[in-house]
Formats: sequence, structure tokens, C-alpha cells
Amino acid sequence: MWNRAREVSPSLRITCGVEPKAGSGASPAVVAQLFESLMLPFGFFNPARGLLSDLNFSRDAYSLLSDSEQFEFESVRQLAQALSDLDSIRIALLQIDSEEFAIWCGLGKSEARIHLLQLISVIDQARIRVQGAQLRIDFLEYRPSPKALFRSLTQLALVGVRFDARQLQRAWPASARKSLSAKWISKFESIKVFKVLGVLVESDPLTFAFQVKWKGVGNADPAIGLMRNHLVIDVGGVRSFMELPAACSRMEPGVVRLSKNKFEIDFVAKESEWPRS
Amino acid sequence: MSEQNNGEKTTSDLGSWLISMGAPVSITELMPREITGLDIAPLMSRLGGIGIKGGVRGEGVGEHPTDVIRWLPIIRL
Repeated sequence: MWNRAREVSPSLRITCGVEPKAGSGASPAVVAQLFESLMLPFGFFNPARGLLSDLNFSRDAYSLLSDSEQFEFESVRQLAQALSDLDSIRIALLQIDSEEFAIWCGLGKSEARIHLLQLISVIDQARIRVQGAQLRIDFLEYRPSPKALFRSLTQLALVGVRFDARQLQRAWPASARKSLSAKWISKFESIKVFKVLGVLVESDPLTFAFQVKWKGVGNADPAIGLMRNHLVIDVGGVRSFMELPAACSRMEPGVVRLSKNKFEIDFVAKESEWPRS
Repeated sequence: MSEQNNGEKTTSDLGSWLISMGAPVSITELMPREITGLDIAPLMSRLGGIGIKGGVRGEGVGEHPTDVIRWLPIIRL
């Protein structure tokens, strides 16, 4: 069943910077089962096409769902993109479950719902595995510039994964034209994992600000948007999703004020929808 | 009442909508015509609910699809 915890391997290793072995991009059975039970009987549409249609899914997103004890990615960015894609799929699936899908379940399509919840559970567990994995970078096949690497590690931090700066320093090849300077080492060490936390602060009876802190977010040049009840933070196509307080759905969003280590979004209450005593 | 109650189904009546969502035709045939012929478009439009055409929430008349990410303007401080 979907709520039965899978065996989680404590020894997952992920290597970035190497050519993935052939076949690692195959879709796991749980994905095929869901789509077969969900889509075929209806000839159905993509229920969350707005969210998913503008994504170019990396094949690695589905490979993360496998039980392998070792994953290989061509770059840090690809790992970050795979996790972002998985999160996008998860958000879309949750929306199906919460709204449109409830109608189908009422029509006797409960088997499809089991597969849906099973896939959500597998995605959750894949995330836990990746966040607890031993990560390493191999620069033998491909060596990005420190600037590009900093950007990739920021994207990885955005999707909740921390990298060991010391491993990176050791792995940086002696043959490189330039060794990693103390400035870059310090910058890599300064990257903080994004915590999916924010607070809604009242400015006046009808105006609120949703505040999110993340060190260096201003330098990451993010795009920030809303999708249903989720905040979307996008850095170069890698996205993180944050559920907003329920009150935000009854307010109109305004501008985002972005500074070096935080951003805040204005929300103005629609008085007609939110009467106060 | 509207013409749907006279047996002419439109794309916005409850019976057609149920079938479009996967319900067997036999189920709608068991339901009274007064129910299956009910025009639900005004209700869906009012709720911003599941659009008749696509089955996607937010596709009612005058609504933007709610699955689209709405990017916000950013002011850098």
C-alpha cells in the first residue's frame, strides 16, 4: 500500500560530474501504473498543465525514484533540476488528489487514487533519501568555472540539499588552470540550504507581508511567483515550492521586495471576502 | 426553467459534465432528467471551479487557469 514505508537505504551515494550509466532514466513501475490507471480510462488531459507544461523534464527526475544505491548525474545542476522536477510533479499530484481527483474517486476510480498516493509517497521518500545521501563531485570529465559551480550549488541548496565544501575543495583537480581561491572556498561554504519557512506579518488591518529568509537570495536573482496556494521560487529553472498560509488565498498579492538575505511579498486583503469584526 | 429540462443536453448540463468526467452513461440515464439537465455553468463560473470544457479548475468563463504560475514583479532593495 502507499503508506507502507519502503526500505530506505542509508548508504545512497550520488556523484555529480560523470556520465550517467545507460538505462538509469527508465521510468519506474509506480509512474507507469499511475498514468495507466489515471489517464487511459479517460483519454485524459494533464490536470496541472500550467505548472508542468513549461518544464523540460530531465530524465533524471524519474530515475531518482528507483531503489538504486548509487545515482550519477552529469552535473550538480542536473541533480538540482531533477529534484525540482520531482517537486513539481508532487505539487501537481497533490492538487489532483485534493480537487479534481476527488470527483473521480466518487465515480469509483479508487484504484487510480491508490496509485496516485503511492507515487506521492515514493516521491517523498526519494527526497528523504537524497537529502541524507553522500554527495560528491567528480571533476575529471567536466570542470565548470567556480562562478558556474557556485550557481549550481545555490540551485541545489534551493531544493534542500547541502554540499560538503571540503569534499569539493579536495576534488578540485590539481591540473586546473587556477586553484580554488580562498574567496571562492569561502563563498561555497557560505551557501545555506533553503528552509521552506516563511511568516505572514500584519502591516495594517488590510495589508500583510509574507517574509522569507534565505542567505544570499538577493544575489541568486530569483523569479518569484504564486501557483494556487504555493509560493514558487525559481533560480534558473530550478524551483522550490512553499505552501502559503491559508489566509493568502483570500488576499491579492502585490510586489516582491528582494534584498540580500530575504524577500517579502505584499498581500492586500479583499475586504469584501474577509469581513472583520 | 431553461431548455435543458426539455431533454436537450448542452455541454454545461450536469449529465454531460458527469460523462465528460468519466461517469458511465448508464448512471446518468438512471438519474431524473430534471437533475441531469441542470445547467451548472453559472455555478461553476461563480465558484471558479472545474471548467466544463477542459475539466480543469479555473477554466470557467472569465477565469485564468489556476495552475499557471503567476510571476510577481520584483523590487530590489
